[in-house]
Amino acid sequence: MTMNSPSPQPQQAAKPNSPQSADTLYESRKKLYVRAVTGVFANWRWALVWITQIIFYGLPWLSWNDRQAVLLHLTERKFYIFGWVFWPQDVFFLAILLIISAYALFFFTAIAGRLWCGYACPQTVYTEIFMWIEQKIEGDHIKRQKRDQGPMSGEKLLRRGAKFLVWGLVALWTGFTFVAYFSPLHELLQSVPTFGFGPWELFWILFYGAFTFLFAGVMREQVCKYMCPYARFQAVMFDPDTLVITYDEERGEPRGTRKKGIDPRTVSKGDCIDCGICVQVCPTGIDIRNGLQYECIGCAACIDACDQVMDKMNYPRGLIRYTTENALKKHWGSKEILGHVLRPRTLIYGTILVAISLAFVWGLATRDPLRVDVIRDRASLAREVEDGQIENVYRLQVMNMTEAPRAFRFEVSGLPGVKIGGEQRVEVAPAATQAVTLQVLVPYDAGKPGSNPIHFQVTAEDDPSLTVREETTFLLPR
Amino acid sequence: MLKWIQVLWPSFLVAAVAEAIFFTVIDPQELYLFGQPVHYGPLATYSIGFLGFWLVCAASSLSTVFLQRGADELNRRH
Repeated sequence: MTMNSPSPQPQQAAKPNSPQSADTLYESRKKLYVRAVTGVFANWRWALVWITQIIFYGLPWLSWNDRQAVLLHLTERKFYIFGWVFWPQDVFFLAILLIISAYALFFFTAIAGRLWCGYACPQTVYTEIFMWIEQKIEGDHIKRQKRDQGPMSGEKLLRRGAKFLVWGLVALWTGFTFVAYFSPLHELLQSVPTFGFGPWELFWILFYGAFTFLFAGVMREQVCKYMCPYARFQAVMFDPDTLVITYDEERGEPRGTRKKGIDPRTVSKGDCIDCGICVQVCPTGIDIRNGLQYECIGCAACIDACDQVMDKMNYPRGLIRYTTENALKKHWGSKEILGHVLRPRTLIYGTILVAISLAFVWGLATRDPLRVDVIRDRASLAREVEDGQIENVYRLQVMNMTEAPRAFRFEVSGLPGVKIGGEQRVEVAPAATQAVTLQVLVPYDAGKPGSNPIHFQVTAEDDPSLTVREETTFLLPR
Repeated sequence: MLKWIQVLWPSFLVAAVAEAIFFTVIDPQELYLFGQPVHYGPLATYSIGFLGFWLVCAASSLSTVFLQRGADELNRRH
């Protein structure tokens, strides 16, 4: 985009005052003092902060079947998620879940840009929380900047110390909650009074806490600008019909100050009064009036800020708004914009998303709570026992994926006269694996010498419909 | 500082992916260390595994950063 008028550079986009070497791509950072903002989109962001954080901080406290409802139990190698218990064998579901997340990201980004970044990303959410704390303790953006530039004083020390303390507590609690997803919460809670955490639990609480503090408190927009891989490739998901936060250049330029109540056209000016508030509220410190930039995380703070200014000036809202490239070029109204939300790209993303989600739900609903692995005993291939019968030995791993103890019966078929010698029943504890050794006997003339296919049938005693059939081979001596 | 981030951050991301895939497929209790079964607790094995992956990935990133220096940088007299 080109600028129509030579306008003064806003204060935050000014050149960094420290010299920088020629071979770095990055300018040295100037600390941002972000002005707080209120409005529709700020409310949306706060709503998302509440929803995501109630879920994040709250989930480990929920109980289900007398255990933690959501526990990714690494030591047991089992993921408990409400009524389900997932085993490493269920990695398929995890893969599908990741594919669903990816397509959801594609879908929403194609429709309305970086919705994830602006509203739901943990980086945004924690930055929002940490900035709120900062605002409460250190005052608004002007006070913070003044105090930072001023000499060290008792008050400065006290306020900064208080801010770091509160940030630290939030960060520690976040780290603690994070670890509670992997290590049972009640055990962690018992360790709190004596500080008797396991060394690795303590390590990860501090690690996650320290990074929360660092990312949300100190680094903030730099994480999005320099560290986030998504910010680098999100542009490929944009097209001319994607809703992005846009400054209406045609309407705004030439920008400039004017007296309130003057019709801007009479002084040959656009609607932008060049107050710079859109820049002051931007958490990444960019000027949205320079067009779409990769630094823009789509938080819409500038929309809220500009709308308030437009209200004060008695101009129509929406000088900065969610709109599409096509809409701006062809002067579309909201009807045409909405009409272009459904287009081949979003329809394809949407169809794939729905199809995979259905497959996921179907897979979960029809998932067998019983799994059996059959392994031939390699030590003894085939052995002749009394009355001329041939014996093969098998090891069966019976996995009971439900949370109730269950008994299973074994049957074998595939050769005339084949039978199981000894115990034909096993009890398996809740969500556990039981190894069973089975001796299978057949008359010596039941099949051809060499390997013969046979089948094991494992059936739950309390539910005959729950049954698993596994093929294996029976060896007859030559 | 920038170099540190360039080395440590991409390797952290890749290490997280590698850790997830590796330990999904392999049970840490089935690992052998110098011919002995691993006797650490699972949590320790996962953690050491992650830090190990991170270290290896960081070594790779470090070589990239090292080899990316241009002629100007190499010829510069100190």
